[in-house]
Amino acid sequence: MTILDARNISKRYGGLAALTDVDMTVSAGEFVAIIGPNGAGKSTLLNVFTGLVVPDSGAVLLAGNDVTRHATNRRIKAGLGRTFQHGRTFPRLTVLENVMVGAAICPTLGERALRESALQIIEQMGLADIADNAIRTLSYGHRRMVELARAVACNPKVLLLDEPAAGLNSAEVAQLVKRLAHLREKHQLAVVLIEHNMGMVMRLAERIVVLNFGSKIAEGAPAEIQANPAVLSAYLGEGYAHARV
Amino acid sequence: MADFFQLAINGFAIGGVYALAAIGFVIVYEATGVVNFAAGQFVMFGTFAGVAALVNAQLPWPIAYAAALFAMAAFGVLFFLLVYWPLKLSPAVTVIIGTVAISITMQNAALLVFGSWPVRIPSPLEGMTVEVGGAVVSVHALLTMAITALLVGGLWFLLHRTSFGIGMRAVAQDVQAARLMGLKVGRVLAMSWVLGALLAGAAGLLLGPMWFADVNMGDPVALKAFAATIIGGFGSLPGAVVGGIFVGLSEVLGASYISSAYKDLISFGIMIGFLFVRPQGMFGEKIQDRG
Repeated sequence: MTILDARNISKRYGGLAALTDVDMTVSAGEFVAIIGPNGAGKSTLLNVFTGLVVPDSGAVLLAGNDVTRHATNRRIKAGLGRTFQHGRTFPRLTVLENVMVGAAICPTLGERALRESALQIIEQMGLADIADNAIRTLSYGHRRMVELARAVACNPKVLLLDEPAAGLNSAEVAQLVKRLAHLREKHQLAVVLIEHNMGMVMRLAERIVVLNFGSKIAEGAPAEIQANPAVLSAYLGEGYAHARV
Repeated sequence: MADFFQLAINGFAIGGVYALAAIGFVIVYEATGVVNFAAGQFVMFGTFAGVAALVNAQLPWPIAYAAALFAMAAFGVLFFLLVYWPLKLSPAVTVIIGTVAISITMQNAALLVFGSWPVRIPSPLEGMTVEVGGAVVSVHALLTMAITALLVGGLWFLLHRTSFGIGMRAVAQDVQAARLMGLKVGRVLAMSWVLGALLAGAAGLLLGPMWFADVNMGDPVALKAFAATIIGGFGSLPGAVVGGIFVGLSEVLGASYISSAYKDLISFGIMIGFLFVRPQGMFGEKIQDRG
């Protein structure tokens, strides 16, 4: 079943085509990665999904409903969760409070139930011993983990991750991969991942979408993408098409 | 000693009023980033809402206070819709000038409706005193302290123990991320104006029996509340409370023990001292520590 469906998305900023006729679908429970060089339009595409950017043309369907004109909070309520490229936790709230903000849109939760459910997620993410610490006192790796906890606080159907491994050390990346796998298994969560860490992408993604200059230049399983000449030339330039990533 | 105790109670009471006005100002500033130059007129409107309900309409006490606070909440919504929302994408300076314009309009509107004669609002505890350790203390002053403590405690509970309040703090820190958590940001911003107006209204109602209700009372209150936020730490709620009480105490004690002619000089002198020595105030963070 298709859970997220973007059709013919185009977006221009003046003379710059940020996205041109991009199609992309995500099935329930699927793990899709979006890769591409800097400025390829990856974050813009995520922003189109969440409604922070309104596309010039095209449509976004969430679980079969056209949400192209819907405000962000309605889309989040309908099952989107996301993290940001540079980590946007609320610095002067505690870990628990951050996750509570993420859980606040869950339907029919009273104050106590909301706190309980936030505490449960914190426990699952291995953050229980820092639950009452303010974010600004935490390490970068912890902050990213809090952001992930916050994004899944309301059991989204699709989790959008914008470079979650950026700035993390290898132990923290391993931890992140483990938590993600656990979350997917538990909630049948679909994930859309933007990431420059190719090791992580190739290991986790079931399907990869490659963007370059705002257009989709390739799509397929990790092995196919690694061998795709258009992808190689986008990353390495013409003349290196014979090389392998 | 009895005199000192009596003066200290009065200082705490007037300081509580400054604290409420300062919190109203800080809550709006933290949530919306707007330095509300009409904050003093909000307090003046609170006092005159009390005049209208108690003196003009002769309503019974509980109904009059409820009606006055309801009017202030409605005024907060109105201010949000007519002043803040249309200007929300404008540069901060434009919004600030907008609040200055509204401040002048409010003052003159009050002048048109209520005239320039000061009015006295009676307190439900008119003339009541209690003797505490040899000092005769006004019950209104004690009640003012109790109500201030109750409102500050209630506000703390709202901001730290309810999901709505935590959402308000989230919006204050990062509007876009809050929106992506599914929060209804517009509603949260409107609520911070309502809270600001309610706190100013409460300050105005408590101030009514201590001062005369006068259409020009907004500016002195605003300056004291502003001094309180500077001393306590700009943007800090505990700072606004401590700063407000500090200003109230220094004003009352300074007027009695030094000179009543220089009571404003004392509180503003302390504020200027803080700006020199500790510009982040008692509870404020240094700019580089914020974020």
